[in-house]
Amino acid sequence: MAEQKQYWKGMAELDGSVSTSELGKKEFPGEIPMEDFLGDAQSLENGSTSRRDFLKYLGFSTAAATMAACEAPIIESIPYVVKPDELIPGVPSYYASSFYDGHDFASVLIKTREGRPIKLEPNTDSPFNGGTNARVQGSVLSLYDNGRLKEPMKGGEATDQAAFDTEVRSKLDAANRVVVLAHSVSSPSYKKMMSEWISANPNVGFIQYDSVDHSGKLDAWEQMTGVRAMPSVDMASARVIVAVGSDFLSSLNGQSVSKGYAVRREPGKDMSRHYQFESNMSLAGANADHRVRVKASEQAQVLLALYNEIAAKTGGSPLNKAKLGTAAKSMIGQAAQDLLGARGASLVINGVNDASAEMLAAGINRMLENEGRTVRMDERLYIRNGNEAALQSLIKDMKAGAVDVLIMDRVNPVYDRAEFAEALEGVAYSVCLTDRMDETAKLSDAVFPSTHYMESWSDQMPKDGFLGLTQPVIRPLFPASRPAEESLMAFAGMSGTYYDYIKKHLSPTLSSRGISWSKMVHDGFAAVEMGGSAGDMSLDGAQLAQAAAAVGAMKASEYEIAFYEKEGMGTGSMSNNPWLQEMPDPITRTSWDNYLTMSPADALSLGVTNSHQQDGSMKGTKVNIEVNGASLNDVPVLIQPGQAQGTFGLAVGYGRTDAGKAGNGIGHNAYALMKDAGMWAGAKVTASDAEEHEFACIQLHHTMMGRQIVKEVGLETFLNEPAKGKGGWNNRTEFETHKGPLSPDETNLWQDFDHETGHFWNLSIDLNKCLGCGACVIACHAENNVPVVGKDEVRRSRDMHWLRIDRYYSSDMTDERAEEEGIGAIDKFKGMEDPAVEPQVVFQPVMCQHCNHAPCETVCPVAATSHSAEGLNHMAYNRCIGTRYCANNCPYKVRRFNWFLYHENQDQFDVNYAMNDDLGKMVLNPDVTVRSRGVMEKCSMCVQRTQYGKLEAKKQSRPLRDGEVQTACAQACETGALVFGDANDGDSKIAAAKKDERMYYLLDEVGTQPSVFYQTKVRNQA
Amino acid sequence: MRNILSTRVLKVVATLLIAVFSAPLSAYDVEGDAANGKSLFNANCASCHKLDKKLVGPALGDVTERRELDWLLSWIKDNAALRASGDADAIAIFEEYNGSVMTAFPQLSDQDIYDILAYTIEGNQKAAPVVAGASGAAVAAAPEKDYSVPVIIGLSLFLAFLISILYTVKNTLKVVKGDPTSNFLDDAGFWTRTVVKSQPFIVIAIIVVSVTLLQQTYYGLMSVGMSTGYQPEQPIAFSHKVHAGENQVDCNYCHSSARHSASSGIPSTNVCMNCHMYIDGSEITDERGNLKYDGERSPEIAKIYAAIGWNPEERAYIEDYEQKAVKWIRIHNLPDLAYFNHAQHVKAGQVECQTCHGPIEEMEEVYQHADLSMGWCINCHRETKVQVETNGYYAGLHEQLKEKYGDEPITVEKIGGLECGKCHY
Repeated sequence: MAEQKQYWKGMAELDGSVSTSELGKKEFPGEIPMEDFLGDAQSLENGSTSRRDFLKYLGFSTAAATMAACEAPIIESIPYVVKPDELIPGVPSYYASSFYDGHDFASVLIKTREGRPIKLEPNTDSPFNGGTNARVQGSVLSLYDNGRLKEPMKGGEATDQAAFDTEVRSKLDAANRVVVLAHSVSSPSYKKMMSEWISANPNVGFIQYDSVDHSGKLDAWEQMTGVRAMPSVDMASARVIVAVGSDFLSSLNGQSVSKGYAVRREPGKDMSRHYQFESNMSLAGANADHRVRVKASEQAQVLLALYNEIAAKTGGSPLNKAKLGTAAKSMIGQAAQDLLGARGASLVINGVNDASAEMLAAGINRMLENEGRTVRMDERLYIRNGNEAALQSLIKDMKAGAVDVLIMDRVNPVYDRAEFAEALEGVAYSVCLTDRMDETAKLSDAVFPSTHYMESWSDQMPKDGFLGLTQPVIRPLFPASRPAEESLMAFAGMSGTYYDYIKKHLSPTLSSRGISWSKMVHDGFAAVEMGGSAGDMSLDGAQLAQAAAAVGAMKASEYEIAFYEKEGMGTGSMSNNPWLQEMPDPITRTSWDNYLTMSPADALSLGVTNSHQQDGSMKGTKVNIEVNGASLNDVPVLIQPGQAQGTFGLAVGYGRTDAGKAGNGIGHNAYALMKDAGMWAGAKVTASDAEEHEFACIQLHHTMMGRQIVKEVGLETFLNEPAKGKGGWNNRTEFETHKGPLSPDETNLWQDFDHETGHFWNLSIDLNKCLGCGACVIACHAENNVPVVGKDEVRRSRDMHWLRIDRYYSSDMTDERAEEEGIGAIDKFKGMEDPAVEPQVVFQPVMCQHCNHAPCETVCPVAATSHSAEGLNHMAYNRCIGTRYCANNCPYKVRRFNWFLYHENQDQFDVNYAMNDDLGKMVLNPDVTVRSRGVMEKCSMCVQRTQYGKLEAKKQSRPLRDGEVQTACAQACETGALVFGDANDGDSKIAAAKKDERMYYLLDEVGTQPSVFYQTKVRNQA
Repeated sequence: MRNILSTRVLKVVATLLIAVFSAPLSAYDVEGDAANGKSLFNANCASCHKLDKKLVGPALGDVTERRELDWLLSWIKDNAALRASGDADAIAIFEEYNGSVMTAFPQLSDQDIYDILAYTIEGNQKAAPVVAGASGAAVAAAPEKDYSVPVIIGLSLFLAFLISILYTVKNTLKVVKGDPTSNFLDDAGFWTRTVVKSQPFIVIAIIVVSVTLLQQTYYGLMSVGMSTGYQPEQPIAFSHKVHAGENQVDCNYCHSSARHSASSGIPSTNVCMNCHMYIDGSEITDERGNLKYDGERSPEIAKIYAAIGWNPEERAYIEDYEQKAVKWIRIHNLPDLAYFNHAQHVKAGQVECQTCHGPIEEMEEVYQHADLSMGWCINCHRETKVQVETNGYYAGLHEQLKEKYGDEPITVEKIGGLECGKCHY
């Protein structure tokens, strides 16, 4: 008797949602665009070409193509006429340099091949910011941006340098008031140059500002110490970290603290505990042990409450009461207790750009005895020096016509300050030094192209006692361009090159410390003091009371908007960088966009939805936003778990109109909503009637649905309970067999490879140290010639990243809770799909796992993917015929298919200028094949690097040293979350990591025996 | 090979003839072996001196006429000492050449110097045409192209055509005569008729013909994209035979990056100038021993000067010269999808250049020797032994491999040299 059982294919079918029933009917999720492909049907029918003719033509053209292919092309091989001594064709040279664009500072090594810079690597010798974030990694592509300005422009017409300088000088001579506007300047030589110019011409003024303003905080420090500079922090010494509204893991006032942070994330007794109070889900919040959602207006209140809590316990005098909800209050009490338990080794970080809030944070750090320990006033930062008040008064003066000549050095105020365009009309003569015809340059009278930092000399002093040097590694690609500093020198009437100027200025300081100029250039940095002495912080009760009163007087609104920077885009100055545009945001996993992030509860009440489409993409409702009288219409909404209710987030850096072909028209300009560069404000949001927005979101599943994809354990459990054995927190999967319980390794059908002999390349990924920043993704892009596919293709989940960083939210529904509350299986799994209201976040980088029993290898009909004795899964592109069986059989979904020809295909992939533009192509790594249409590709574990490292050892007749060979991702990882090496080398770091009790394989139960493994995440919760 | 031998024979004969017949023209006779003198001259003197013209130092063709033998001996052995001794001639010549110091040659024996001087005397007379009798041996060396196959095919086709015409004529005549026409088979003998008409013969013939055709088609298709023998005309008629063969210049001297890099490197023009600053080709002789360019500068070497901007008359680089790169035609082209590294083979693998590039030292014009197919690579990787004994990199690995493979030779294959990802990434 056959039973009438009904099977359903998944939860969605049981739900009876429309999309599944529709999907069931057709094979292809979208209509096949036959008409587009063949032209219109009618003319096709009326055409005179018969089937026979068609076959004839087809046959003839095939034969002709075959004949033509027999002729080998003549390839020229052109040597140097005079070869530079330091260069061997085919061998890379590295130059130490510094990256600084007014926003990020990094000590870097620039890898050049045959004189072309092709990759950035961290200068690990450098004691300050010796790591590279995604933007720094991506900056090498900006060098080859053909959208850069090539000629000096005067009134929209190209001109030459001499005529340009003459005109500017004559305008300067006639001017009563001249203002030079720049981003934060940290260069001692630049400062010297400006002061020389100003002392000779008192009518010249110099104003610095930051696109994303920090002057509230700077004002506080100026009041407290007399110096307009913020202290650096010693993150590695902080056992308890409380951050309020600060995404400090992206950048803390320009200082990169992730390395120090990661030191304390090593699980053990000394592991740090991190509390985060914030509105938007930030990278720091995602990594916090405790994260509390507060509205933007409440952030300063949190600091006030924390101050009072700690003051009460240390016998200090409390200030006026904070206005806060109960949830935040209880967590503040707990945080205060932890902070007090770690006096002198704790840190309170304020991210609110407000003098009062900053003073409260400083007050708390003083009570906690952190001054001079974790808060280093003796090592102040000079990466954020902007003065918004000065800029605002400049704008007023400009409107009043009181500025005759305005020189803008590599800034874009028309884009990032709403009123600037209007004010610029009041300036008699405006000069713009810029790398492209951007929004500001378009409205300027004269524009001079400035060189990329890889084409010019400059010096930086980002921190007391640390001097960085930027050196050119290639001649200016556009000969008419020159360093912005040299333009300024020309305007100021100074002679000589900026190189001579720097050298002359730095040499006395350097030689007094016994550092030669050659050493400075070789190292790229030096430990040098140049002026500035440690100032003591004065902060009295009256100041604090005043600050508390100011905080108390802050007004909350029903709905607020908090502006933030995205990890990939920063302030938007590198907007025309397709690598950064395509990099999925670590939190939202969405690329090529900015959007209003909104909590699920607010979305419900405002009637805003996100819906998943048949083709696996996402659509979302658009809204109109009104802030301070300014408005942005039709901004898409992305519903963000963990977003504070009542506060929306909107990223700056988008909505460029004149950035270039990759950056124009992407997203909306959040700066337009800011008043006086305020980072949060009350907002009015109404649903818009506009058509739904199409997101390029590559991860629609928010949760792990109860599976052990990321293993996580509490610190207490980790310290006190066994990892293996009964009830262990990191047991391997076991199968019951007739031989007793066996691990997946022991129950497989396949023959094992010999991995004892020779190298065995393994990669360990420490989920405790992975902060999700995505620097590895861009490093992989640059190293492996990964194509950019554009928003439309990303929407179809055809992104080509070899390395993705999955982000999972925790869910309120667990097996235990379902059992306790008697919740049925269906409701349980449904609930597991939804992220918690206060979700915990985990990041998991996933690249090819290089399985030693690889499912992809067994299904390839042409053996295009095969195994290596060194534990790698090789992919021979030229052998691949594109069946995509391997991708379908890959349990990790890491294989990427070239659906189109992404290179030499300007019509379709113009934004991928690294492969479609003669200039852009110079960034390609000559050691890695550029893949063609119709072939599969995937992470190769940087086989070109392992091969190179082995060969170097062979050439020198010595064994390979541990750490000598690094994959691009492991090298870019500042925190050391990724460790690569030869697991057969007993003394290597990777061999130790493989034996670590936290080690586990992703989807171990599948029995793939990967060469990549993970380290269980440990969370330090109270 | 024949070519080289004959040229050498020619040279020896010419030298001997000169030695026998030439009359001493110098002020005094020098007892010396001019042949040995030539090699000594080339090794020690040629970088600064020529016989017939000034280079870094003076022309030496007539030096025995200008200087006493004793003076020459002491000058050559240690000119600084001679100058220090206050010899007026020595100081004068030193000043004439702006104080550039000539290398001292204390290692040369008196006889060596006599040999060199003998060569300077004889070499100086070489400009005159050589005795005609010596040329006989060289003529045979002219290269011949093999035209036999096309000629045979053409002739057979022509014969077949003639036969068919003859038959047509014959049959037409028969028709005119009213006789029945006949074909080739009717006219053939009994045995031929029987064999040709027999079924087994037809079957076998069809099999043989079709198998041959298929085989030829297969080889034809397999050679698509292979460019064995590719020998493009280069912008400069550079002869590897002269440089690597006759003059024994080490391959690494010009292709210096082969030991360090993936690319062997086409030498940059300044490397050519290291030698060609002094050698302008005016002494190149043809097979008959005659001066090829009538003592003028070689037009091929002039191309180097034109590229880099060297003024051979003034012996100086031209200032602000717009240098022009020499656009060589690349002969060995691997597809982009295959990664080949010279250093891996030359330095780590200790493979001879000739293993892949063939007898390069015999090539007047370079051609592609190997087919550079994947099968060819793989085959070599199967057979070539790894330098496990001598290279420190393999120290640990060698122990493991010995355990695994015992006495079997460790070939490239055994350390993963056949894996796809070693060359394709």
